[in-house]
Amino acid sequence: MNPTRQRLLELAARGHRAPIGTHLVLHQHAHPHAMQLDGAKLGGVLIEAAARYETPLAMPLMDLAIEKDCLLHALGVPEPEIESYHFTEPPPLVDDLVATPKMKAACDAIRVVAEQPGLVPMGMSIGPFSLMTKLVSDPITPVFLAGTGLTGKDDPEVAVVERAIETGTRLILDYVEMQANAGARAIIVCEPAANLVYFSPNQLAESYDVFDRFVMAPMRRIKRRLESAGAELIFHDCGELTPGMVARFATLDAAMVSLGSSRLLWEDAACFPKTTVLYGNLPTKKFISPQLTPQVVHAMAADLAGRMRASQHPFILGSECDVLSVPGQEDALMSKVLSFLRSP
Amino acid sequence: MSEMNALSAAVEKGKRNDAKLLTQQLLDAGHKPLDIVEQGLVPGMSAIGEKFKNNEVFVPEMLIAARAMKECMILLEPLLAKAGIKPKYTAVIGTVQGDLHDIGKNLVAMMWKGANIGVIDLGTNVPPEKFVEAIKAHNAQAVGLSALLTTTMPAMKTTVDAIRAAGLTSTKILIGGAPVTAEYAKEIGADAYGTDAASAVDSLLALLEA
Repeated sequence: MNPTRQRLLELAARGHRAPIGTHLVLHQHAHPHAMQLDGAKLGGVLIEAAARYETPLAMPLMDLAIEKDCLLHALGVPEPEIESYHFTEPPPLVDDLVATPKMKAACDAIRVVAEQPGLVPMGMSIGPFSLMTKLVSDPITPVFLAGTGLTGKDDPEVAVVERAIETGTRLILDYVEMQANAGARAIIVCEPAANLVYFSPNQLAESYDVFDRFVMAPMRRIKRRLESAGAELIFHDCGELTPGMVARFATLDAAMVSLGSSRLLWEDAACFPKTTVLYGNLPTKKFISPQLTPQVVHAMAADLAGRMRASQHPFILGSECDVLSVPGQEDALMSKVLSFLRSP
Repeated sequence: MSEMNALSAAVEKGKRNDAKLLTQQLLDAGHKPLDIVEQGLVPGMSAIGEKFKNNEVFVPEMLIAARAMKECMILLEPLLAKAGIKPKYTAVIGTVQGDLHDIGKNLVAMMWKGANIGVIDLGTNVPPEKFVEAIKAHNAQAVGLSALLTTTMPAMKTTVDAIRAAGLTSTKILIGGAPVTAEYAKEIGADAYGTDAASAVDSLLALLEA
């Protein structure tokens, strides 16, 4: 067994808990955006976050705009247009990744973490399907049309989606390998758009073909690339899911799977192998709400931990997603995170 | 089934070619464009909206239905404009500054259009002053603010404050998005909170017709 997977399983067996909370720590610093471009400083933040949360898991920032930025730079899209740019025709394939400053800093940060004994250096990437949804102005309709059996040869919008997924997959394969080469022992691949907003459960009830082609097939390529680089896959999807989607994620043989708070993890556990740790899934997207006091979060954490112990599935209690720092709410959010880390 | 009912059914099922053909046939038969909107298209979108509320259909089916309606409106809008017919209500909508997410906002815009409400869609990452300008320019009775991220929720308050500070005290403000709650709507001075796109129609009409 890969030692990183073994480590995660051991942490789960000890009832470990950890948030995806580096953003909160980064934004306690004076110049967070500048730090994202400085690998040494960013690495320091990852180490600081791990220490703050008393975890060996050095979780990186969940910045899911990095890959779109890289791809569009490579294609010569002017900087001011990148954020809102969408393809209207099939994009060209980009075979050689030219790392952006943020990518380089992320890899340098991993190198800094890798020098620290005891920490698990981790990488991060968006998944191919979710990247595609950022590259196409209306991805839902062509995904639905593809689910009716149309291909890129039949419909130009489907053609854009198919090519955007392929282009994105190639870039992501290179980026996760780059992070693994920098020392990441596990990469969190985030597919939050693989959910029932983009895939109609009615259509999936007839066939999961489009989901398998657009989400699962690219993820399996990533899994193979990570295996050959000696890194484990941590799969993250905080979207609303069907049981069929969850069952498919269970076949990825990820070292850890992180799902959103809409899932009952103790029920989902049954379809995952015991070698896949389940992670999550406290409703951190709602932590901004004053109704979710630290006491309420504490109780929710205790309840979830108890249910997962009863399920006897390897589990690490954590957040459903990245806990984002909100100006003026930093202390309140941190107090809620710390409350679930300290719950029984 | 009457042709009007057939049009509603075609829209509901997202059959855009059928819907377009039926719209043309109704026009050729002498039906008024507004009647086609109100008796054919709106019931179709209303039916799919009800099913969405009841979890019988999902976002993709809603978008496919909206696409069918849009095809019909391409035929109808020039005729409505020529006859000087405007929707009874106009609403401005956008995702607040700093937030680039548009699915929820698009769904609400689509459902409002489906209820024959004039919609001015400002897109994403919209600064407060743009909302104010659009409300004034279009004499909008309502505005919808969307945010997906907890980090951009504060921009909702900034926008509400800007709208009220501009003297637009009677403009109804609806907010929505994953992290948003009814309590938050109240806290920042918005008039209502929409739990989902279909409910946003009921919420808007309830405010405007109160």
